[in-house]
Amino acid sequence: MTGMIATGARLVRASPFAALRAFVAALAVLLAGCAQMVPQTVALRTGWPAGVPQSTTIQDVPFFPQDEYQCGPAALATVLAFSGVPVTPEPLVGQVYIPERRGSLQLEMLAAARRYGRVSYVLAPRYGDLLREVAAGNPVLVLQDVGALTTQWHYAVVNGFDYPSGTVYLRSGTEARREMPFTAFERSWMRSGYWAMVATPPDRIPATATEDAWMNAVLAMARVAPAEAVTTAFETARQRWPDNLAAAVGLANQLHARGALAQAAEVLGEARQRHPGSAILANNLAQVLSDLGRQGEALALIEEAAADPGNPFASEIRATRETILGRMKQRGSGPQ
Amino acid sequence: MNLKKMTCRALIVSMFALSFQTASAGLIGAQQAAPAQADRAAVLEVLARADTASQLQAMGVDPLQARDRVAAMSDHEVAQLAADIRQAPAGADGGTVLAVVVIAAAIWYFAYRR
Repeated sequence: MTGMIATGARLVRASPFAALRAFVAALAVLLAGCAQMVPQTVALRTGWPAGVPQSTTIQDVPFFPQDEYQCGPAALATVLAFSGVPVTPEPLVGQVYIPERRGSLQLEMLAAARRYGRVSYVLAPRYGDLLREVAAGNPVLVLQDVGALTTQWHYAVVNGFDYPSGTVYLRSGTEARREMPFTAFERSWMRSGYWAMVATPPDRIPATATEDAWMNAVLAMARVAPAEAVTTAFETARQRWPDNLAAAVGLANQLHARGALAQAAEVLGEARQRHPGSAILANNLAQVLSDLGRQGEALALIEEAAADPGNPFASEIRATRETILGRMKQRGSGPQ
Repeated sequence: MNLKKMTCRALIVSMFALSFQTASAGLIGAQQAAPAQADRAAVLEVLARADTASQLQAMGVDPLQARDRVAAMSDHEVAQLAADIRQAPAGADGGTVLAVVVIAAAIWYFAYRR
């Protein structure tokens, strides 16, 4: 009995230090846990993205309160309308909403914006990149899991933030100005793999865009966007990255399609100086020259390209050569 | 039933195949000049698009709209979607109501079960 009391007394005496130690240990575990729960928010403390203000709000971002389940069309309309497209959520429902899933898929959100001549660009999964885009004036569409107990996917648009008070501002659901702490926002956002997109006009390359990712975004848009927007997108990309082959080929093809043959030839000729070995450029320039009636130059060019046996575009080159030869023959034998 | 399904698929495939767009005559498309583009088989692409469109259709999307919606995706995106259209996150924001109802029901049950 006494032994036990003594033990108990010793325990009590030691407790202030033990408690302190336990408290410190618990705090350390908690902090480490927090850091794991919101790693990117923690990283921002020491690595705030260069050149980004600590506080900013994009003015004039429209707000469309969503109907039930339709945060996808509402969020998409928000970024599209901001970029200058006169659109409301209603026509977008038929383009992104899936009745059985009662929601909208990320890929369809990307695809729908292209129809309106906007380039959909998925951001790198980084808090810093999201902040940079907002600071550059591009509202960012994000996918969050806002479920309390179950998974509940939700689209919202980030249109500002204030780092000193630790607040992210969003257009979200029925709230025109939803305020979320940086940490809570990260927790909801990280479950989607930090998925975020911007939809910008074709002459406006996002602040965080990389050359390859942007070109793929433009090429995806070129499938369905209005021709004028596609031309602008290729032209803008070519100005930013003059060595980019796809941008030059795409621009020339657009010019050719609208009948601006001389301009197309100019673009291809300039690109050939940068990529002298490109079979695509040789083939396309030969075709354009032939369409311009300069059959002699066209033939010389295509013969040169046809001389390379390991060419992946051999069949296209052969076809172009035949076209040129056919036209020469027609002109030669036809009435003068 | 099966025949109907087959016919339906065949029609969708033909719709895609016919609307297949290349650059204007004689020109190689810019897609081919992009560094990230691997060799692609056109037939596989058409099938993936038809498959994705019919999956959308099966989930309640209007058939013509389903076709247009798939047409606005890149090859890579179509392949990705075909793989996980039923599992991919679908942003909706309707479940909070359900969660509230469940919690309310639980409280009611535990409070009044005696």
